[in-house]
Amino acid sequence: MTGPARSLAARQGPIGAALVRVGLALAVAFAGIAGGAGYWQVLRSSDLSGAPDDAAVIAASRQVVRGLITDRDGRQLAWNARDSHGEPFRVYASPALSGVIGYAATQWGTAGLEQAWNAELTGVRSADPLYDLTRKFRAGGNDPEDLRTTLVLSLQQKAVQLLGSDRGAVVLLDPRTGEVLVMASTPDFDASAVANPTTSAKAFAALQADPSRPLFPRATSGTYVPGSIFKIVTAMAALSSGAISTSTTYPQQPAAETTGLLVDGFRVRDGHHRATDGTPVAFDRAVEVSCNIYFALTGLRTGGRQLLATAASLGFGAQLPFDLSTSSSQVTGGGGSFQGGFADEVELANAAYGQAETLVTPLQMALVAATVANDGVLMTPHLVLSASGAAGTTTIAPEVLRRVVSASVAGEIRDAMVLAVNGPIGRLFTAGAQVPGVQVAGKSGTAELDPGSSPHSWFIGFAPAGDAQVAIAVIVEHGGHGSERASPIAGAMLKAWRAWVAG
Amino acid sequence: MTGLTSTAGTGLAARGARTSQAIRPRLRGRELGLLVLVAAALVAGSVSLGATERLQAALLNGDRQLPLVLAPADAGLLAVYVAALAVAHAALVLSGRRTDQVLLPTVGLLGGLGLLLMERLPQSLAGSLGGLAQTQLVWLLLGLAVLTLLAVTVRNDAWLRRYKYTWAAVGVGLLLLTFVLGRDVNGARLSIALGPFTGQPSELLKVILVVFFAGYLSENRPLLVEESTRVGPLRLPPLPYLAPMVAMLTMALGIVIVERDLGAALLFYAVFLLLLYVATARPSYVVLGLLAFVAGAAVLYQFPALFPTIRVRIDVWLNPFADQAGAGYQVVQALHAFARGGIIGTGLGAGLPTIGGRPPIPALHTDFPLAALGEELGLVGILAILGLYVVLIERGLRIAASAHDEFRALLAAGLSLVIGVQAFIIAAGNLKLIPLTGITLPFISYGGSSLLANSVIVGLLIALSDQGPEVRPPGPPRRGVRPLARRPA
Amino acid sequence: MDPTLLAIWVVRLLFLGLLYLFLWAVVRVLLRDLRAAAREPVREIGRLVVLESPSGEPAAGSAFRLDAVTTLGRDVNNAIVLEDEFVSASHAALTYRGRAWYLEDFDSTNGTFINGHRVEGVVAVAFGDELQVGQIRLRLERPRE
Repeated sequence: MTGPARSLAARQGPIGAALVRVGLALAVAFAGIAGGAGYWQVLRSSDLSGAPDDAAVIAASRQVVRGLITDRDGRQLAWNARDSHGEPFRVYASPALSGVIGYAATQWGTAGLEQAWNAELTGVRSADPLYDLTRKFRAGGNDPEDLRTTLVLSLQQKAVQLLGSDRGAVVLLDPRTGEVLVMASTPDFDASAVANPTTSAKAFAALQADPSRPLFPRATSGTYVPGSIFKIVTAMAALSSGAISTSTTYPQQPAAETTGLLVDGFRVRDGHHRATDGTPVAFDRAVEVSCNIYFALTGLRTGGRQLLATAASLGFGAQLPFDLSTSSSQVTGGGGSFQGGFADEVELANAAYGQAETLVTPLQMALVAATVANDGVLMTPHLVLSASGAAGTTTIAPEVLRRVVSASVAGEIRDAMVLAVNGPIGRLFTAGAQVPGVQVAGKSGTAELDPGSSPHSWFIGFAPAGDAQVAIAVIVEHGGHGSERASPIAGAMLKAWRAWVAG
Repeated sequence: MTGLTSTAGTGLAARGARTSQAIRPRLRGRELGLLVLVAAALVAGSVSLGATERLQAALLNGDRQLPLVLAPADAGLLAVYVAALAVAHAALVLSGRRTDQVLLPTVGLLGGLGLLLMERLPQSLAGSLGGLAQTQLVWLLLGLAVLTLLAVTVRNDAWLRRYKYTWAAVGVGLLLLTFVLGRDVNGARLSIALGPFTGQPSELLKVILVVFFAGYLSENRPLLVEESTRVGPLRLPPLPYLAPMVAMLTMALGIVIVERDLGAALLFYAVFLLLLYVATARPSYVVLGLLAFVAGAAVLYQFPALFPTIRVRIDVWLNPFADQAGAGYQVVQALHAFARGGIIGTGLGAGLPTIGGRPPIPALHTDFPLAALGEELGLVGILAILGLYVVLIERGLRIAASAHDEFRALLAAGLSLVIGVQAFIIAAGNLKLIPLTGITLPFISYGGSSLLANSVIVGLLIALSDQGPEVRPPGPPRRGVRPLARRPA
Repeated sequence: MDPTLLAIWVVRLLFLGLLYLFLWAVVRVLLRDLRAAAREPVREIGRLVVLESPSGEPAAGSAFRLDAVTTLGRDVNNAIVLEDEFVSASHAALTYRGRAWYLEDFDSTNGTFINGHRVEGVVAVAFGDELQVGQIRLRLERPRE
């Protein structure tokens, strides 16, 4: 209390003014809530309410007769039957589809394509947003939509049969459109048994307990050491950045084949071929003989950042834009500080030929092959051709994701990949991939794992080499060298594909 | 003229009562008009719910012909509630006081919306008196009775301002009681059981705290405004004078936090800071308070061993989708409910899909009623509900601004801030604007303690809004009047 | 479009519309109250001018605006605090009843004087009257227009 004037102000002034300010603050706070409600109820409304895990979608999926799923030729892949209470349940054409179509079971929810397109299959959301707007005013609730997929049932079954009792995956897609023809994953499982209410509990429990993890969709979610097939990614980075040309050779390469390549005090060894006769190889021959030393040196010359950038434009480092959720592929663990995340030069040198911390999904490697096949342009992969229901038919058009390398670089790599399948030495590794009457381009891979366990067997490629209509990736877990398991499977698949095209 | 400044209170107030004339009823036209609108809206809502329920039953049966039945979902429930509003209005008319006419209809509409929601949810969710809706109706009637009683009878506030420390003691006692006798619900020890009834003392404590704060602040306001604590070159607020309030707040917060009732803790703290600012107009208090809050939250986040819930809540807030099936489940489900509602909603009764007969959010009726209403009434409905709360706040703060003295002003401000801040905390939590802390949405959420405590608040606000008799002849005082000899000027 | 569903949607939208009708009606009441409050600004009802104050607290010559109920005394809780050893903690109150001012002495030790007469109980005070509380002399003045 210093004076009457001040005490007057102190007593009577502030309460009113402070009240107004507090009132305004609360008004702003409530305007914030209104903004939040607007965000979730308008901007995010359709993406959240149509999501596979939305309660309304789940609730509807338990009551509604789901839409049918067919392959691209109209063969039924999934349809409905009714149990003794008259409630519908799902039946699937073949266990071979389990890794891609997944299942829809009352008790266990949904997986695979059944999950990704749950809203459309149950009719909660249609592919036509205008139709959704007037849905509120129509009786009868949901209009399930039928899906026509990009798959080919016979090829899918063939892939699973070829993989046999091995664990692995086959992805076959059209490089010009991104349409996936085959997406096989083994071991497969009987999705019909999971969907059928009388067998559901037992079947699902057995699958969950199975140590070979049949429920795990390897084609999209399995991440594997790539081995030599990753050299195609390194080649894209090196050629498109100008770090090397097809005539580049390394004088130290022949010697390093016997003594190992000294990088930063460590020796990068490569003992698996002697076929180069002591002369330094150029790019084509390096791909053909799958020379690790050549690609280690190329990786170092290209630089980690460029390698990562090219890989990222191929889809590495994130979920792929695809119907099903995918694991993300990686070039490096990314914890290091050398050139964008590598631990050091040694890791970069090893990653350049697909060892080190590099991990890839089969779908990702199929896209690498498809990019080369499609003159350097990566198409967005997709599984559905069209969805049709009461609202009409919505067709999903092919979509360019991005250009990764120029057509000329893609051509240079294609030529090398042709040599890798058909050249005098390449033939030794990948003979199994050859198909009579059509030129196949490809690259095999042998992903070295811990000593004592046999390596993953890989093959990626496409055909016909000059005018590619199909690209393929095959992995057989612990299948040995690329030439032993993956290349023959790829060859057989391409043969079957030729037969299918011929009708 | 019932409000008298602190110490002069007793003498004059007592005489004021003696001189008051016979009570004359006074019509409340605006209140009546607004209540008619409330009744109309509730009838429309109930008819909408009834028609939807019958339609869905027919769809489930597989009937070809869809029925159109335009009748209320539960006419009895609705009639009882509207009648109770009418009785409350009549009591206010008979009391003849010139008090606020907007608060009762606004609260009536909010309560009615809550009742419609409870009718619509699975009746087995909660409630001992024949289901969710009936139990809620009983609490609503009790709440209206308490509200009316306080609005009619509270004329003198001496009992509030004089015994503030007693009130504080009662409040802390209540919480300690919860701690000793409490039952654990969802890992939080929130309620005490008395026979078949359970109550949440923290709801009552919020009213008591406001009374205590208003009493203490009005008494010590000049000191808090004028004095400063000097720490080196810094001029800080006079912390010693704040000690009793801080002690009270710490005690309440401590107990509430130990009981894991984070929503109440956040509410107490926010109202404390806001009221301190209203009383002193010194932003430094708010700044200091916020700094302390952020520091405290950061420490608790860094050392989750101290208090694991905080870290979980903040992580869920930052990204609920990271653990959709676990900790983030309720928040994600609430966001999905809002999203399903869209702009105009699904209509009452047509949303909230149940999976296996249960709604996806377990605490829908207590912590997430806004998400439920957001789904069924859409953005349009949410904005209307927010508008109703803004009306309550505006009205309360206006009553505070025109109060005769500081205690009443701070009391009215504090009470309306409690409702406003509480509605904000839970609404913003539902919408992922702030971390979710479980607290009820005033007048809409299911729950007796919450309804009763908020009714006490609005009852007091209506009483505080009394403008006194309109025309009052000056009339000579009764005793001790003597004409005084005038000295020539 | 199904006619039954359309009819139900009419009821649903009517419900939402009625919520907004209510809000509109409330806002009208709020605005009318605001205008009414603006029309009658808080008028000053009287001033108390300090004529003499030995302690300087309040200082001589300063003036207080009076509330309808204004308490005087040494305690800080009074509306007007008078720092003087002869003033009681809760000394007296000035109240305005419609047209006139009244003063009530709270049985203070040293009493309150109006124009030199000691006050007992409640007495009317006119503008221009001089009050003595302890050693402090004050004058009630008309409000300034």
